[in-house]
Amino acid sequence: MNESLKAAVEYIKNYNGRKIRMMEVCGTHTHEIFRLGIRELLNENVEIVSGPGCPVCVTPPGFIDEAVELALDKKVTVCTFGDLVRVPGTEQSLSEAKASGAKVKVVYSPQDAEKYASEHRDEEVAFLSIGFETTTPSSVIAVKNAIADGLKNFSLLTANKTMPGAYEAMADFADVFIYPGHVHAISGISDCEKMLEKGVSGVIAGFTADELISAIAIALKKSESGKPFFVNAYPRVVKAEGSPEAQKMVRQFMEETDAEWRGIGVIADSGMSLKSEYAEFDAEKKFGIERRSGRSNPGCRCGEILKGMCKPAECPLFGKVCSPEHPVGACMVSGEGTCSAYYLYGKDKTNVR
Amino acid sequence: MSDKITLAEGAGGKQTAALIDSVFKENFTNEYFTADDAAVLPQPKGRIAMSTDGFIVSPVFFPGGNIGKLSICGTVNDLSCMGARPLYLTSSFIIEEGFEKEDLRKIVRSMAETAAYVGVKIVAGDTKVVPHGKADGVFITTTGVGEIITDNVPSGAKAKPGDAVIVTGDVGRHGATILLSRDDYGIEADIKSDCAPLWKSVESAIKEVGDVHVIRDATRGGVGTVLYEITKESGVGVRLEAEEIPVAEPVRGVCSMLGLEPLYLACEGTMVMIVPDEKSDKLIETLSKISETKDAKKIGVITEEHSGLVSLKTEIGTETVLPEPGHELLPRIC
Amino acid sequence: MCVGLQAKVVSVNDGVALVDASGAKRTVSAELIDSLEPGDYVMVHAGSAIAKITDSDKKETEDLLSGLF
Repeated sequence: MNESLKAAVEYIKNYNGRKIRMMEVCGTHTHEIFRLGIRELLNENVEIVSGPGCPVCVTPPGFIDEAVELALDKKVTVCTFGDLVRVPGTEQSLSEAKASGAKVKVVYSPQDAEKYASEHRDEEVAFLSIGFETTTPSSVIAVKNAIADGLKNFSLLTANKTMPGAYEAMADFADVFIYPGHVHAISGISDCEKMLEKGVSGVIAGFTADELISAIAIALKKSESGKPFFVNAYPRVVKAEGSPEAQKMVRQFMEETDAEWRGIGVIADSGMSLKSEYAEFDAEKKFGIERRSGRSNPGCRCGEILKGMCKPAECPLFGKVCSPEHPVGACMVSGEGTCSAYYLYGKDKTNVR
Repeated sequence: MSDKITLAEGAGGKQTAALIDSVFKENFTNEYFTADDAAVLPQPKGRIAMSTDGFIVSPVFFPGGNIGKLSICGTVNDLSCMGARPLYLTSSFIIEEGFEKEDLRKIVRSMAETAAYVGVKIVAGDTKVVPHGKADGVFITTTGVGEIITDNVPSGAKAKPGDAVIVTGDVGRHGATILLSRDDYGIEADIKSDCAPLWKSVESAIKEVGDVHVIRDATRGGVGTVLYEITKESGVGVRLEAEEIPVAEPVRGVCSMLGLEPLYLACEGTMVMIVPDEKSDKLIETLSKISETKDAKKIGVITEEHSGLVSLKTEIGTETVLPEPGHELLPRIC
Repeated sequence: MCVGLQAKVVSVNDGVALVDASGAKRTVSAELIDSLEPGDYVMVHAGSAIAKITDSDKKETEDLLSGLF
């Protein structure tokens, strides 16, 4: 650690300004904050909570149900990121569907799913298109490639989301947002500046130890004045304008739609789906799959846990029907989710001490 | 003449005998290898250890080894973990109809070479052929008997607070190799499986260092899984130094590309050894003289606190829990 | 969200870049970045290079933190 980073660590440890609740909204931030033991540095004046931001965790059961229907009933080869395989649907997860004979293929990227489709033209292939601003362009490139390759057997089941709606939905539950660096590498900083205009503070953070610590320290320092602030603490990757190429490409193929977030509900205009002129690549339209809201377990209090309004142990399902082996809600799906960490390590701090 | 395995060759008649003659006999010949129903063997001096393991790996050939070498290393290493010198092995083959005979020969040859290197004898075998599609190339089960050379048999229940945790080499290489060999993710890297028999290293550790409390080979689930097993069996905690854990650069690259943790990737020639801390330098020095374990390294200690958990001291000086592995390894994007 | 991978561009051809991260190589889409060249460092996510990297994280934090604490 260099001197300025050491100073930042000391500052965080000894912070004694007003109480600050920071909310990160990014699965990789959740993971890295956990992996680096950053919560151990925090005293009682600072709290970091994990809000909605992991695309897998916020994917509602209804989407998994649609994917299972595609795979089992429509006999479509379902290509997916590995993260989605264990996520519970209303009846079953993709991993359970696979055990009953569904063809579920884990891929590294949407483009790889398109390539698989081009090599297996007698097979219907659908890619489960989840993710935020960062991931959506890759799905769009896959559709573009499918058009170039003249594919008739490739489609997307879309559940793509955008972050600004979630920032607004969560604004009342956090003092400072730790904004997801790679979302803003694509979308630029204008969404964060709009939040600032509304009086909401935030800092765009990268993902290494140095970057996360400096972002947290900067956020605490800026909080001292009591005035709202915004700092891009990831300038080596996030440029003010983001990626105009990616924004343009997504706008060409997709349009905004309302979207359901597991544990939160529907947020207006927070989803992205294919425009009607690309309907042949839209798995829902192509196979007549009905969009459904799915059936979340009514006892699940993930939404409140995400907002920091209740602790895992206060949820009636926690540790009973909901466990890392059989997750019910979003917070139990990922190993670093609030409920999962609480379940495995017995405390709401995810650290040993 | 067909160069692929046929169902008839598993039917027990003339063709089975021909297959055994042409593939197995020339490689497995030793004074005990038998055509009778069971091998007859001299009685070992001390207590014996016995172990069995089934091997299924796709692809069957991978950089750094193949299923044959793996099937010998696996059982040899299991016996070694108990302080037992591997003496005799049996091998049972389930072969998919249509499997290339030349490939089978290569597999059997590398089994023979690996066994010879260790000094273990393959004394009996079995061959079955199943219809196309009912197996994935070839499955091999090996069973082994070894002679225990110490009164102080290592066990997962013997780790004590203050002990040193040592890995005999860099972690996760076999798992990463197999992941890339399947070519599901379009990644290329210069990685070879660590697949190796470790009896020589174990023998030196026991004879030259002694008082080795635990020896475990970090196969399925990797070093992370093995350490969790030990915390539970011994009722202790483990604290690792994150920056001390040896990971080959390309393995690290593959893991960061796919969002995987190297500590959960399988090793096939890397063990975890736990010894009293004052013996750790001697153990590392002893292991480093043997090629299979030349990169042995201390990565952490056994603790009394946080029993049942493996923790990591991080690069920023904090301590965090290594999440307990428990699921199929899948690449992630978030 | 979004596992990002820092990688070096080895070659660029027809909208596709070959990238290298600690010796692990794969091709990714180069369509989201204007003018990518061999030797550039990029952030890779889900099969696409999403941003050019203009600095190291150490230098970045040094600059951000200098004089702040």
